Amino acid sequence: MTSRTSIHLTINGHDHELEVEPRVTLLDALRDHLGLTGTKKGCDQGQCGACTVHVDGQRVLACLTLAAQAQGRSITTIEGLAEQDGTLHAVQAAFLEQDAFQCGYCTPGQIMSAVACIREGHAGSDDEIREYMAGNLCRCGAYPHIVAAVRQAAMEAAS
Amino acid sequence: MTVHELRTRPADSKRGDASDGGALAGQVGGRLSRVDGPAKITGAAKYAVEQQLDGLSHAVLVESTIAAGRVRSIDTAAAQAAPGVLKVLTPDNALRLNTATDWLGTPPPDVPYCPLARDITFSGQHVAAVVAESFEQAVAAAALVKVSYDEAPVIADLSDAKAGDGIPVDAMTKEWGDAEAAFAAAPVRICAAYNTPREYQAPMEPHGLIAQWQGDQLTVWEPSQWLDGMARTYAEWFGVPFENVRLVSPYIGGGFGSKAFAYGYGAVAAMAAKMLGRPVKLAVTRPQTFTAYGGRAATRQTVALGANAEGQIQSIVHRGVNETSVDGMWVEPLGSVTSIMYATPNFSSRQNVVRVNSVVPGALRAPGENPSAFGIECAIDELAYEVGIDPLEIRLRNYAEQDPEAKKPWSTRQLREAFAAGAEAFGWSKRSPEPRSMRDGNQLIGWGVAAGTYPVRRAYGEAVVRILADGSVEVESSSIDMGQGTYTILAQTAAETLGVPADNVVVKLGDSRYARAGVTGGSRLAGVMTGAVHKAATAALDQLVGLAISDPRSPFHALQPNTLVVTEGRISSPRGDGPDVPIAELLGSVGRDRIEAKGDTMPANSTPEERYKNYTTIAMALPHTEGDYSRHSWCAHFIEVRVDEDFGTVRVSRVVSALDSGRLYNPKLAESQWKGGIIMGIGQALLEEGIVDRRHGRIVNNNLADYLIATNADIPDIEVISVGIPDPHSSALGGKGVGELGIVGVAPAIANAVFHATGMRVRDLPITLEKLI
Repeated sequence: MTSRTSIHLTINGHDHELEVEPRVTLLDALRDHLGLTGTKKGCDQGQCGACTVHVDGQRVLACLTLAAQAQGRSITTIEGLAEQDGTLHAVQAAFLEQDAFQCGYCTPGQIMSAVACIREGHAGSDDEIREYMAGNLCRCGAYPHIVAAVRQAAMEAAS
Repeated sequence: MTVHELRTRPADSKRGDASDGGALAGQVGGRLSRVDGPAKITGAAKYAVEQQLDGLSHAVLVESTIAAGRVRSIDTAAAQAAPGVLKVLTPDNALRLNTATDWLGTPPPDVPYCPLARDITFSGQHVAAVVAESFEQAVAAAALVKVSYDEAPVIADLSDAKAGDGIPVDAMTKEWGDAEAAFAAAPVRICAAYNTPREYQAPMEPHGLIAQWQGDQLTVWEPSQWLDGMARTYAEWFGVPFENVRLVSPYIGGGFGSKAFAYGYGAVAAMAAKMLGRPVKLAVTRPQTFTAYGGRAATRQTVALGANAEGQIQSIVHRGVNETSVDGMWVEPLGSVTSIMYATPNFSSRQNVVRVNSVVPGALRAPGENPSAFGIECAIDELAYEVGIDPLEIRLRNYAEQDPEAKKPWSTRQLREAFAAGAEAFGWSKRSPEPRSMRDGNQLIGWGVAAGTYPVRRAYGEAVVRILADGSVEVESSSIDMGQGTYTILAQTAAETLGVPADNVVVKLGDSRYARAGVTGGSRLAGVMTGAVHKAATAALDQLVGLAISDPRSPFHALQPNTLVVTEGRISSPRGDGPDVPIAELLGSVGRDRIEAKGDTMPANSTPEERYKNYTTIAMALPHTEGDYSRHSWCAHFIEVRVDEDFGTVRVSRVVSALDSGRLYNPKLAESQWKGGIIMGIGQALLEEGIVDRRHGRIVNNNLADYLIATNADIPDIEVISVGIPDPHSSALGGKGVGELGIVGVAPAIANAVFHATGMRVRDLPITLEKLI
């Protein structure tokens, strides 16, 4: 298969034109074709959550999404979460303060999930956070600190 | 790429833990947030295989679908003809490589090495590779490679009837007294078998690399726990000087023992890059991470304890077996905790390895100590019930006041303190001793305790410390940070030693062009590298003060050396009666743009060969019982489980662990590592198991949906308590190991808690529901 297709993607508020094979995933489009490597490839089969991005505000696994499927939709990745002036998103700041990561590889996916988890209204208790963050694996074992960070950011968002 | 322009935020300037008398965040012992954190939480941190190179091509591996036999033929025609394909590599067209020195420093046999196999010894072995212009093209073409085999009978795993009893490993034998006779004569005897399955490191970042040749210079971007060791392997494979190979590994997405060596796929990628004359990226797929290198070997142990009626151990007889591959050797030292945790006048431990059709197993968090503790820490719990005393009390009755094996005093052993602090915080005194005596509705509640330990592995290290014209400081080392906090603690060490704020220190790691470093494994890095940076920074400070006093242009000219201090980046006389100038101003006034010092902890008369050996093998590591002391870190885990009486599901509901890692260089980060170890231990106890298809010798759950690791929803709050004191015999700044320790003892604490909850003793990990109903 060598045919290429032209895809228009809106990522973090910027427009991108790509000439890629139709089988290219959103994850590989971001990482290999656009140099946006903040979104991580942990399993490439929808099992670990490291590639979580937002498509039209919903959490989506970029490894199970073809780039072409995201055409015309608004994509947010970890690179687009902080303010233009570099001010961290409340979830990012909470992750740093609570030491909610070690190796950092699952972290962008955790943070993207956490932002959505709070927005979805599923950060009401520690148990609820654990459940709604369970799709993002962390082998370093930062889970209790991730819960603390999500709780902190959720409380800041509510206040 | 590894520079962090970080500024410490006021919120981080909290005091450190009590063991350091309240260190400031930017000093050793302070709770500085990780300095590489902002890069990681914004997506700016570029991991090794994320480098964007012009002309990059993509390699995909083809693996054997049988576990034993021989490749009869490989039909590459369809793959060759597929769009975008640049090369199909097989043993027939592979470059001839040399066999490399192993990590122990063993000289290699003079035979060629081919990373693509004709003789198949395990399922998932690399047999071919396809390189194409795009990743998608390489994946598609790899599926077109047709391999036919002559199959041979498979030895699937340890329980295969064909596996046999294995090969005795004499180096693992430890004996004193007459253990067999003392056991036979003991009034109380227990004996049981404890098994652990194949377990996998499963770091979130899969392995892989980008290889690029420029003439006979090779650059490899690869996640690595050991840049110099891996650079040596690549150099020897390809017959180029060590200096010609550059390893780059700025961040590592988890290793847990699995990223210390160059593996066959690395040779494939570097070979392809050489043959094609362009850079090649090879990303190991998640399923391939289960066979491209080895996880923890499956183990079997029997532990026999003979004791008197008061529960004092008279004899320990221990026999262990671990699996290894058909053509490789891995010994998982199963008697390592058994021989030191409790005092006993009679002891015997022996071990065999059994060859099965598997990839050669490897290191996974606390290799040896982890399964060893599962045996002895379950066994002593069984003994406690047998003699009718509390499981915590029996551990104190058998407390080893010195190393029972080495017969040397402990450097420090805060295990009694760990038991006391953990029990107090957990509320152990409220435990009802009888199994099945605590419940909450349908849930049976169990409380279990177990201890853990890990030796202090020491080695020599080096580092470069530079004071720049603007007064900022650079630290360089080819050691790495895979999440333990190396960037942070080395900044703290340099800051404290030089008297500058930590946010004026930039730490550069993960490039083999920097000062050399040995392996990051066995919890040795922090102790080695803080010592090396302390030494280099002290030398730089001496130069700075020397310059201030000797240079006629300096405002401190002709003062005595010991009359000057550097604090907060300013040089002054402590009496406060002289000049007080920033470092940058002093350097400017004496016309210097930098001060640079290299510090190493090698013996002064070391030869270049010894230095090379020190950083590229582990042959010069210092034994933990060298000299007058036996050095270990220690811990005690107190764990509550809830077992559903009808369904047998086990949930860990509470964990309190007290740990002795000596002095903590950064308690905030050390606590995270401890908890990470405990969480991996929870997964090991309840979830993790590589399942072998007995017909084909294949791991069937080779992915993250079927090989279960703990998720957020599996983990309760975890309380960790530091009971360590500075240990001057273990490291220059008084720390002992952190990263490996936390997992040791978790699985037995959970197994013991499950017994307390249910009255059922599960001796085979993981403790899954079918074993309880």
